[in-house]
Amino acid sequence: MITRRKLIQGAAALGGLAAGVREPALIARALAASEAAQGRILVAFELSGGNDGLNSVVPYGDDTYYKLRPEIGLRPEKLLKIDDHWGFNPGMAGMHKLWKDGQLAIFHGCGYERPSFSHFTSMAYWHTASPNRGDEYGWFGRLADHMAPEPQPNLLVNIDTTQSLAVKSRVHTPVVFDEPERFQRRTLLQEKNVIERVNTAPTGNASLDFLNSVSHSANEASALVRQAWANYKTPVDYGVLPAQFPKVAACIEAGLPAQLYYLAFRNNAFDTHVQQPNLHRRLLTYAADAVHGFVRDMERLGMADRVSVLMFSEFGRRAQENTNLGTDHGTANVMFLAGKGVKGGHYGEPCDLTTLDDTDNLIHTTDFRRVYATAIDGWLGLGVADKVLKGQFERFPVYA
Amino acid sequence: MRKLTGVAIWMVLVLGWTGPYAAGNTPKQRLEPLPAAEWDRSKAKHLLERAGFGGTPAEVNRLAAMSLADAVAYLVRFDGVPNVTLPSFEHSGIFDAGLDPFPPSRPATTKLAEETGEALGIKVKAGGNRPLQPIVNKFFYWLRASRLETDRVAQWWAERMLTSPRPLEEKMALFWHGHFATNEDKVRDYRKMHKQVELFQRDGLGNFRTLLINVAQDPAMLAFLDAGVNVKGSPNENFAREIMELFTMGVDNYTEQDIREAARAFTGWNFTGLDFNFDAGKHDDGGKNILGHIGNFDGVQTIDLILQHEATPRFIATKLYRFFVQDSIDAELQTELGKRFKDNNYDITALLEILFSSREFYAGHVIGQRIKGPVELLISTYRKLGLTNLPGAPDFNLVTGSLGQRLLHPPTVAGWSQGRAWITPSLLIERGNFALDLAFPDIEFIPQDRYPIYPSGPEIRAVQQRLRDGQDMLSATRPVDMAASMDTDMMATSNRVDRQEAFNTRYGSFRGWQMAIQRVKPIPRDLATLDLTRMVVRAELATSAEVIDYFTARFLTVPIDGTTRQNLVELFTLELGSDDVLASSTVLEEPLRLLLHLILSRPEYHLG
Repeated sequence: MITRRKLIQGAAALGGLAAGVREPALIARALAASEAAQGRILVAFELSGGNDGLNSVVPYGDDTYYKLRPEIGLRPEKLLKIDDHWGFNPGMAGMHKLWKDGQLAIFHGCGYERPSFSHFTSMAYWHTASPNRGDEYGWFGRLADHMAPEPQPNLLVNIDTTQSLAVKSRVHTPVVFDEPERFQRRTLLQEKNVIERVNTAPTGNASLDFLNSVSHSANEASALVRQAWANYKTPVDYGVLPAQFPKVAACIEAGLPAQLYYLAFRNNAFDTHVQQPNLHRRLLTYAADAVHGFVRDMERLGMADRVSVLMFSEFGRRAQENTNLGTDHGTANVMFLAGKGVKGGHYGEPCDLTTLDDTDNLIHTTDFRRVYATAIDGWLGLGVADKVLKGQFERFPVYA
Repeated sequence: MRKLTGVAIWMVLVLGWTGPYAAGNTPKQRLEPLPAAEWDRSKAKHLLERAGFGGTPAEVNRLAAMSLADAVAYLVRFDGVPNVTLPSFEHSGIFDAGLDPFPPSRPATTKLAEETGEALGIKVKAGGNRPLQPIVNKFFYWLRASRLETDRVAQWWAERMLTSPRPLEEKMALFWHGHFATNEDKVRDYRKMHKQVELFQRDGLGNFRTLLINVAQDPAMLAFLDAGVNVKGSPNENFAREIMELFTMGVDNYTEQDIREAARAFTGWNFTGLDFNFDAGKHDDGGKNILGHIGNFDGVQTIDLILQHEATPRFIATKLYRFFVQDSIDAELQTELGKRFKDNNYDITALLEILFSSREFYAGHVIGQRIKGPVELLISTYRKLGLTNLPGAPDFNLVTGSLGQRLLHPPTVAGWSQGRAWITPSLLIERGNFALDLAFPDIEFIPQDRYPIYPSGPEIRAVQQRLRDGQDMLSATRPVDMAASMDTDMMATSNRVDRQEAFNTRYGSFRGWQMAIQRVKPIPRDLATLDLTRMVVRAELATSAEVIDYFTARFLTVPIDGTTRQNLVELFTLELGSDDVLASSTVLEEPLRLLLHLILSRPEYHLG
């Protein structure tokens, strides 16, 4: 029989009464529990909708570019110059700064065989690192499974309104949240013991088992994340629309043991079929400022040596502009790795603009999984890229 | 075998894995009607849950008293359902002819005004500063008003889901809204969104060909997938791709060539106002090769080619199965369901009747395994509580939005992912927080159809505040993050000479909000009328244990574990101060609301 006294004591023990005492202790415990806290961190940042790589990293030294894009091709004088051939979209000042600091790797011609032009299919291929086949689990989820074969709370974080296929894991329940302030079960004191009790034994109902495990994970993570966000204050400018990067910084500052963070620029924003130029520039500004701000913030926190950011999109866009001042779905694209540990520069073979495939698209030169492998083995130093990616992919010498 | 769900299942469908088979039964056997002897109250409850939004114990009893065939006919064909006319949407009256056609952007609007001296039905002012300001104001007015009015459309629709004696009609509309996903953010005209919802309500249970053609010619869809720029000599692939990939066949059943050719067949399709419009001058009537057929196909003929393709009935029937029955489905059953759908000439009602009568539908591993989407969660909660009005607080759109399903604002053209995709740690917590707000109203609730919060609310509010502090237009419309430094020397700036400009965007944004709330009718903010005491007294419950058992049976499809049940009984008794429920009827309400919150916070609550 539960008495009121026991209930109150129970709630106090769980921290309901003295939040200020409770949460740092929880963080400390989580820290101590995880050797991974000393490890390196990988942040994946997805530009959903199919970012136009040709108008992001512009081959202004190639006349063919302007022939393919007489209306929306970006004139050389408008670009943020990289060298005498390449220039960034004028919106990408943040990435330009990282480039000048030698902290940005550009990977050219990334794609896969028999490309899909469907956002959803192609994104699923990127999420699972399994083109033309798919997988039940995402590549980030499989990576987590290799990092920790037993369930480990708060290893894998996905900051978004819904969970990405990329983080779907066989072993781990990813921490998925959007707004830290709202990541809190509001509970009256007397309810606390009953409401927080989660049945973790198998029930024979697979959906219920799933709900129970997510509920358990929610209880584990929500206090940590909220406390991290509440304590976080930064002087660093992340730009107008910082995606979810400040939240990642907050979690890192608070010592959350997560090593894998997955973020997305949402809702197919980069799907610029119509009236592309201003919109695309604006989107790139948001993305580039956010990444730049994040790298600077990591420097501020003394964490710059431990964090790399991977940027990609599900496909590039058609080489030739369409008749609506936009571009249709395409194939090969640029990818980026950013961070202090990165050896900045060009990697991979740029696509030949004069030789398009039979759908008028760029022919990819670099399997995108080579960049994943670079992050897994080169950055995280795990030596499990072959297993995670279910194949051998040559790394780029991006990390010394 | 591990159960596959969510996006993974979608991958399976796309990529052609075959999932787990139900042991030993052929698809035909699995689709046979449930034997009459096996029909009971728990199955009636399951049927009402899936073919509707669940209901009160009395509604379950009524269904259970029928035969299986009668119960299915009642819910699917509405045999014996009283013929009530549901209220139609009450327009606030925010539209005027000047708004049509609405330019694609603010710059396009002001450019039009500069070139022609007029836009949105308003002439450029003859002189003075900011001659284009009234036009810019009206541009923002419509953006804001259409969005607010769209929330009212969603509210009206949700009210129908709650009160309709034909719940399947609304549930199918919800299904098709997720299938033919169209977002007001791009359409920017609540009238088109409303018209599309009415289309789904009207045709959602009819013939799929009729539905598909009507959707393809629906102004909201045409606007959403860029029909206006799909013209002869310059085809735009957006609609042609989505109709094949998402609306009918699924990937891998057509080629890029098919998409390009189909796009040509749809050239010239557009809308004028709220009507479909075919412009023969913009239509490419040349020869085409679509899905292996050669001819001078137009749009409807292309749709018929798609409907002839064997993948289409299978794709649609499979999606219906996954929505109404369960996530996982093997290839054999997909084929069989596709065949039945085609044999029934794409009759949606006939297919649903097969599903809802089938042994498969009532299998033990199907009942209580479906994770409800946010809209279903709220509506079924309200229906099980016996509410007859949709509460205005908590706000339906805000809650469903924070749970990942804001009606008329699906995230992409692929609609919402179902099943496990609805659940993350954060979203699970949000669902519990909704239950708390329902049981114990949040006294800090602010109706956002009056008070601007998202997305530009802070800026709009700051502009008003500074104007009312007597600041000049330029100072008042400084970005919010610069305001702190500005306001300190407000006195110095307030007498400054106004800058000459054609218009001020931030002022337009503020003024547009003011004009919008002048016209858009407010959403009534009545709280849920809960009388849990009455519920308990009428059910003649005498003890705490009886109350717990009644509540869990009423609100949950899956039983709770023994420890949780015991915890609830003890907590309830403690809160009530007694185990004698009947004698405590005057102090019952608060403990009952606590109990409601606790039960609605259980993981079991999300299953139906």
